[in-house]
Amino acid sequence: MASSLRTHTQTNSNTSAMNGTSASASDPKSQLSKKPRLHAPPQPLFITPSDVLFEFSHHLPSIARINNGSFGCCPSSVLSAQQQLQLQWLQQPDHFYFNQLQTRILQSRNIIKDMINADHVDEVSIVDNATTSAAIVLQQIAWGFAEGRFRPGDAAVMLHYAYGAVKKSVEAYVTRAGGYVIEVPLPFPVNSVDEIVQEFREALERGKQNGRRVRLAVIDHVTSMPSVVIPVKELVRICREEGVDRVFVDAAHGIGCVDVDMKQIGADFYTSNLHKWFFCPPSVAFLYCRRSTESSDLHHPVVSHEYGNGLAIESAWIGTRDYSAQLVVPKVLEFINRFEGGIDGIKKRNHEAVVDMGEMLVKAWGTHLGCPPEMCSSMVMVGLPACLGISSDQDTLKLRTYLRDKFGVEVPIYYRAPKDGEVGPVTGYARISYQVYNKVDDYYKFRDAIIQLVHNAFTCASLPT
Amino acid sequence: MEHEDPRNGESTHRSSKKPKISSKFISEPEIRDEFSHHQPHVARINNGSFGSCPGSVLAAQRQWQLQFLRQPDAFYFNTLRKGITASWKIIMDLINADHVDEVSLVDNVTTAAAIVLQQIGRSFAEGKFQKNDTVLMLHCVFQAVKKSIQAYVTRAGGSVIEVRLPFPVNSEEEIISELKKSIEKGKSNGRKIRLAIIDHITSMPSVVFRAEGIEQVLVDAAHSIGSVKVDVKEVGADFYVSNLHKWFFCPPSVAFLYCKKTNLSSALHHPVVSHEYGNGLHIESAWIGTRDYSSQLVVPAVLEFVNRFEGGIDGIMKRNHDEVVKMGKMLAESWGTNLGSPPKMCAGMMMVGLPSRLCLNSDEDAVRLRSHLRDCYEVEVPIFYQVLKDGEEGVRDKDGFITGYARISHQVYNTMEDYEKFRDAINQLVEDGKTCKILWIE
Repeated sequence: MASSLRTHTQTNSNTSAMNGTSASASDPKSQLSKKPRLHAPPQPLFITPSDVLFEFSHHLPSIARINNGSFGCCPSSVLSAQQQLQLQWLQQPDHFYFNQLQTRILQSRNIIKDMINADHVDEVSIVDNATTSAAIVLQQIAWGFAEGRFRPGDAAVMLHYAYGAVKKSVEAYVTRAGGYVIEVPLPFPVNSVDEIVQEFREALERGKQNGRRVRLAVIDHVTSMPSVVIPVKELVRICREEGVDRVFVDAAHGIGCVDVDMKQIGADFYTSNLHKWFFCPPSVAFLYCRRSTESSDLHHPVVSHEYGNGLAIESAWIGTRDYSAQLVVPKVLEFINRFEGGIDGIKKRNHEAVVDMGEMLVKAWGTHLGCPPEMCSSMVMVGLPACLGISSDQDTLKLRTYLRDKFGVEVPIYYRAPKDGEVGPVTGYARISYQVYNKVDDYYKFRDAIIQLVHNAFTCASLPT
Repeated sequence: MEHEDPRNGESTHRSSKKPKISSKFISEPEIRDEFSHHQPHVARINNGSFGSCPGSVLAAQRQWQLQFLRQPDAFYFNTLRKGITASWKIIMDLINADHVDEVSLVDNVTTAAAIVLQQIGRSFAEGKFQKNDTVLMLHCVFQAVKKSIQAYVTRAGGSVIEVRLPFPVNSEEEIISELKKSIEKGKSNGRKIRLAIIDHITSMPSVVFRAEGIEQVLVDAAHSIGSVKVDVKEVGADFYVSNLHKWFFCPPSVAFLYCKKTNLSSALHHPVVSHEYGNGLHIESAWIGTRDYSSQLVVPAVLEFVNRFEGGIDGIMKRNHDEVVKMGKMLAESWGTNLGSPPKMCAGMMMVGLPSRLCLNSDEDAVRLRSHLRDCYEVEVPIFYQVLKDGEEGVRDKDGFITGYARISHQVYNTMEDYEKFRDAINQLVEDGKTCKILWIE
């Protein structure tokens, strides 16, 4: 891991030294070189750091953008491809609708199918985001209650750290329809996957009490706040053992962040955003539905002409709108394959770098990581010094805003309520992300901002509401 | 966010046939420039299907998109809601609603219909409505809405009554008479009519519906805003929906769903549930997960655009209407056919009968003709097959019954040449003795 840190620093200085001495024939800066070249330099096998800089040159340069997890990112070559597609629609929308749109959506679905090791393209639907996928799956559960296939009080299980929007969706579609919701409490900080597995087993036991059937388990692949990687494969297996009807894996942070193999994981439904860690523009996600009788009863809530023709076909036309984010997947694949190791290489390097950066920060601040490195993806929870006095969710928002406005650092903060008897507890954790455009300086900036706050005896209480 | 229009003043050195009296309003060359991204040489007389968006609004949209991409977190926390609020206010004024709470922005009318119908479905499921209580819809309701009714009403145990309106339509009285018949049917056996879905053309003041015992009225006015005057208080419907990307120059796609404040309307929810669940539909709709909201944010830029025209949106509407009637009559006269509805019942679109000699006898024939016109004549216009009802007196031209209609649109970028191109294409087909069955498609 240390070596990757050095490599990164080295690459950093190479970037600044690159002006006028480009290794890439396609780099326009090569024209500034004073010595005439007899032969064009060989095209590098992989994307260069200055190419990466250029691809993300639209990012605000004054901000240390260490929050890829929230809204993702999109390189400019993909944005250009998207603009071309938007223009094609605007030029002659009828022609695009009749002759282009469905073919291109199918192409994107096929690429995704291959990437996630699904059996058949019918199993892959493209939607706006994981929030939409959740609504699709949960609406089917609501119908189960309404149509009497489920009994009132049958249960749905979800993690306590399930994403807020998904929790609301469970309330809207399951609780409202008469279902009983069980939350699996998870420890945080967490020390091992066993802790998670244990809590999950106990929650399932509770779910099955009083003759209840557990109709659905909603399991995050990577929780949002606090962020840890959940052992989904094992939890899915436990669900099968315990007779849970169906398992829905919410992998909003999925493809490009963790290994996404449908057959390995074995869930009935699996969704992942493509705009977070897979370089698509906002916004696009896939929802995988393993083929079965039940999956044929899933519907997109925005009903249009294709109702009844299968979720994937329904989702490919939900009225006039801009589908361009769904159509650039081939271009994204091109971009990814310019990196050594493709998406797997990116994942691995992101993970190693974020752990490096996390360890650098906790060492500088005297705190700790929220979980062991093997339970992180491209994000890690980093403890903030207790003296900052983070004592509520509002404090985390205030501190986040303060860091953005005063220090030019963008990072989400999580509040962890202290347990009884804890002395000097760490109550605030920053969720740092690492993506290909990040640099060590981003994390130094954050490190130094916090050190300065501590030095100034800053507390959240001093911030205005 | 203002797009500095570099074209201001450039029009003075373009040749124009008429001397310009005042540069107060947008000029013809400026309009051409605004729509210069439209495919040239195509007679684009189908604004009704997918709408259109001028270059200056597209530029404003790109600015919003770029702002998000530059720093999405700051955009989410500091910018997005303010931008949507500005759009709500403009629409609220435009449609004469009382309060921004009544205005929700969604992707399109299809989404708005799903929102209203999902609530109807829930009411059946939760026992608030009796099984077989009715929903009324027009026979010609947009197919997507029909499917939505199937998905949410029929599936939940509601019954559906279709109102068959005559076509061609000759008067409002005919519409009202058919509606009354269906209302009687819907109330038979002690049932309640929980919702009537009508379009703007057939909408009478909703007080009439309530007097007849209909609980709620949804006006599906997909084409209305920018095409006809929209006054939701005058219409008095519980729900009124219209697309802004069809006739109001927004990019794809955005629509508004107006919900009159009542107990029932507070029960509406966006089906994509997110953090704002329970805070009111207009707030819920303003955040349904990470996505590109830019088409909802350009409404101020659109208002700037329409106000460059004489009479603003009202002037545009009037001129579109007058032109499409004129063009419709020109075509009908040239082909010896008819108009599908009286001019006063059309907005920016008009149904024009096609010569019977084309032998358009099925939906497939209509698709073939449309594709042929696109591929071989560069004319984009939707074609409809009109089945003759039993006992109905069909409309004839000199050679037979008229069974095919073209729906022509007129928007500010259209010129006379577009319709002449269409006129000549049809005349050519008839002259060559081509019928729909034998048309060649590229």
